[in-house]
Amino acid sequence: MTPLSYLHTHGPAGDPLAHLAWGLGAISIIVVVIIIALVLIATFHTRPAVAVDGQGRCPIGRDVGGVRWVYIGVGISTVVLFLCAIWMLAALAAVSSPPTAPAFKIEVTGNQWWWSVRYLGNTPSNTFVTANEIHIPVGEPVRIDLIGGDVIHSFWVPKLAGKTDTIPGQTNQMWLQADQPGTYRGQCTEYCGVQHAHMGFIVVAEPRAQFEAWRANQLAAAPQPTSDLEKSGLHVFQARCGACHAVRGSDAAGILGPDLTHVMSRSTLAAATWPNGPGRIAGWIMGAQSIKPGCRMPQLSMQGNEMGALLAYLKTLQ
Amino acid sequence: MDTLKRILPVMVMVTLAACSRSQGGSTTQPSAAALPPEGQIASVPLGDLAGVAATNLPANLHNPLEGNPTAVQEGKNLFIKMNCAGCHGYDAGGGMGPSLVDHYWRYGGVPVSVYKSIYEGRPQGMPAWGRALPPQEIWKIVAYLESLGGTFPADAYHAALQGDLGNASGGGAEEKSRESNRSSSRQ
Amino acid sequence: MYLVTPFPNTAYALDLTKAGAPIKWSFAANPTPLAIGKACCDTVNRGPAYVDGKLIYNLLDDHTVAVDVRTGKEVWRTKMGNPELGETLTMAPFVVGKKVYVGNSGGEMGVRGWLAALDADTGKELWRAYSTGPDNDVKIGADFKPFYPWLRGKDLGVTTWPADMWKHGAGAVWAWISYDPELNLIYYGTSNPGPRVPVQRPGLNLWTSAIFARDADTGMAKWAYQFTPHDQWDYDGVNENLLADVQIDGRPRKVLIHFDRNAYAYTIDRATGEVLRATTFAYQNWSSGFDMKTAVPQVIPAKQPKPEVQLEVCPPDIGGKDWQPSAMSPRTGLVYAAIFNICMDLTDHTVPYIAGTPYDGMEMKRHPAPGGNWGEFMAWDPVAGRKVWSIKEQFMTMGGVLATAGDVVFYGTTDGWFRAIDARSGQALWSTKLGSGVVAPPITYLGPDGRQYLAVYSGVGGAAMVSSKMPGFPARGNTLYVFSIDGASPSQAAGMLTTQAQEPASSSKAGTSTRRH
Repeated sequence: MTPLSYLHTHGPAGDPLAHLAWGLGAISIIVVVIIIALVLIATFHTRPAVAVDGQGRCPIGRDVGGVRWVYIGVGISTVVLFLCAIWMLAALAAVSSPPTAPAFKIEVTGNQWWWSVRYLGNTPSNTFVTANEIHIPVGEPVRIDLIGGDVIHSFWVPKLAGKTDTIPGQTNQMWLQADQPGTYRGQCTEYCGVQHAHMGFIVVAEPRAQFEAWRANQLAAAPQPTSDLEKSGLHVFQARCGACHAVRGSDAAGILGPDLTHVMSRSTLAAATWPNGPGRIAGWIMGAQSIKPGCRMPQLSMQGNEMGALLAYLKTLQ
Repeated sequence: MDTLKRILPVMVMVTLAACSRSQGGSTTQPSAAALPPEGQIASVPLGDLAGVAATNLPANLHNPLEGNPTAVQEGKNLFIKMNCAGCHGYDAGGGMGPSLVDHYWRYGGVPVSVYKSIYEGRPQGMPAWGRALPPQEIWKIVAYLESLGGTFPADAYHAALQGDLGNASGGGAEEKSRESNRSSSRQ
Repeated sequence: MYLVTPFPNTAYALDLTKAGAPIKWSFAANPTPLAIGKACCDTVNRGPAYVDGKLIYNLLDDHTVAVDVRTGKEVWRTKMGNPELGETLTMAPFVVGKKVYVGNSGGEMGVRGWLAALDADTGKELWRAYSTGPDNDVKIGADFKPFYPWLRGKDLGVTTWPADMWKHGAGAVWAWISYDPELNLIYYGTSNPGPRVPVQRPGLNLWTSAIFARDADTGMAKWAYQFTPHDQWDYDGVNENLLADVQIDGRPRKVLIHFDRNAYAYTIDRATGEVLRATTFAYQNWSSGFDMKTAVPQVIPAKQPKPEVQLEVCPPDIGGKDWQPSAMSPRTGLVYAAIFNICMDLTDHTVPYIAGTPYDGMEMKRHPAPGGNWGEFMAWDPVAGRKVWSIKEQFMTMGGVLATAGDVVFYGTTDGWFRAIDARSGQALWSTKLGSGVVAPPITYLGPDGRQYLAVYSGVGGAAMVSSKMPGFPARGNTLYVFSIDGASPSQAAGMLTTQAQEPASSSKAGTSTRRH
């Protein structure tokens, strides 16, 4: 199954809609088949010839049966449509709020062309920021507040739920639940500019224990650099990257770009556009405008061994 | 030698800007020689850099992004997100830092002078952005400032030095800003 | 007379025994101009302290200096912080015994607030108490007994912030400190939390917008109270705390009286931190009431700013009253304060932390609240918690107040009026217009010639500049005015010309044979 297929969902936020889609699809096909059959019958059905009487008049007769078709058709259609409407309302009700109280809340902000994610904890100090990759515990609903950023974006994880826009000036709400562990691809589905097509994200559903481990790791600040090269890399990061990016544990706390405190723990870069890895992240830094032209990561040129030092530091941001 | 080091980065930029003006972008990175040592993202080198306002650079260096509406919009975004608005005001009318919409420019108001002030920082607390922001991003900010009307046209560099452009916007705003060079309202 | 100027923080000694009060010495402190661009609200200085023949004051670039008052030479200079990181010093140091207390400025620059104690003789730092962070850094220990349960707990200076945000959480200590010699406690307030955009920092954000009572010797906190939990409008808690002994509900209580930026006037038991009175003294629309049981103001949900959405909030960031000090008269039992009547149109923008740049995000336009007057001078009853009389002023009243035993109180306005008011009735007794606005408190002293003098600075600036677009707003100035009751003074003789003009019958002739022209 392709990653963005919405026909087979894996959680109660999407299942009722998938079933509705299949159900309405099936009903529609059946209706089409019936109508085609009726049209064909009507086309090829012939009546017995009508005989003219002695004076050349045609008998006038009440046409029985034809209008009955209409009554039956309308009756069946009404009932079926009515039942479909009820089904649709039930499906909408089912996906509007989670079956149990959400385990926690995540705030997602759509920016051109990446996703900022803030996990809210039960105490303020359990609150942390990450980007482009969301982890949720399997089988538990999670509430998502969609905060409008610069322009309208739309948050869609096809295998888990329907689309909800992020609209500047307001906060929309939706929820997610994944009943099977796995990696689910998400995508922006409201045209938002030149790199709209490359504004994806990843939702990882994992067992509770693993989720807690991930969360604790994300909450922790980045480690202090140990080797000289790493220390030099930290200086390069703070001077060259810190105005836009944040790494907790360093002096870099920019908000224009994604939080990078644990960037190497993510499977992708640039909003699921580019795979992650030491070589890959170097390629991204050196050539962002070739990979994702028009995106907000500027074309940089790094001096001498700056890149080597920076990579050494970035590798510590697990 | 020190002066040469300061001029060299922009001279390299100028040469390449002349070559690639039609594409609207200079991609050369000036050397970091003129900047404070690594460590602080945006820290001002101590000492008097005011001398750079009197420069023998080609005075009519245009902003490679001048008039580009996307650059102006992105420059405005940077102006807010790099905290320029925090010191210079959300309307660029001044606050902790001077107004950028009047016609008084202590360190020069033509595009190349504004670029250098942003890149190098200035003695009274203007941070040095040359390491944090690539040249293209600084030109975007300059483009935004140019769109606000307070800067001088690139070709008017010498006239601006001699104070001949002072009254373009009307005397009132300038008189106030000259007299109280800290407008100092809390933003 | 000793003066300290705003940046470049020159100190002067004026010889009052000589005609014309000439400069006896001046001390050029040479602070770095780098600090100019890091001062949020003009390059102000709130004055020196005097101890053991030394004039001790703060430089904008984070040094505290001590100057020998006889010679004008520097005795010691201590570096307290880094201006590159946006930190400055503007407050007047406070002295108890041999300790000098100094606090930082920079609540809008993402600094971490602190109060430090220096040895008055050597300038050596003895201890430093931070306003955010773990209990150890905040000098909270076993003796810490806040009156209210919601302020008890371990490391609240960490847990009431998102991960690591307390490191740039501000809580700067940039204004006044008070001291109770019997309890041996110092009292001071902390600034707003940083950044000034509340959605970026959910949580109570302790210990910002709060007051600390600390042991004057060790610096360990005895109690604390937060005036504006999770402050969303820049309501610093730094305004002065007047210490008074009053009768509340039939019992004598040792209290402190505090007019906060959030427009509430507090009367607090200064031994325990219990809030006895909390009533509003200025126009405000952010709070629907005050829960006396928990001592928490009730926030109106619609007044909580969301980024990019404009709303009108009163009072503005500079509050119903800013740091201009009030004064209490034990004779009338009233507190006299210069307050504001201002609102703001506020739009928040989320902000990054970039060292040395503002960590701020509040875009504001300020305008007067209903009534149209920017300022007001009032007499306040701290026991009843209400205004007794007030004088509305068209311009801001950002100068401090002087109360005297002759039942005359003095204050100045931003447009340069300097007024004497009857302390009991509120009637104006005398007004004069100075060359520029008054944003400082007047002082009174007995001169070497045995006369009583009144002195005030005239030179508008600081946060009063928010009203600088008003028609009639004065030019900047830099003048010291000294008055005596009848204008008489030995200084009159210096450079005067004698004339033959008749003297008006009402003037006093004692000691004068010439009149100034």
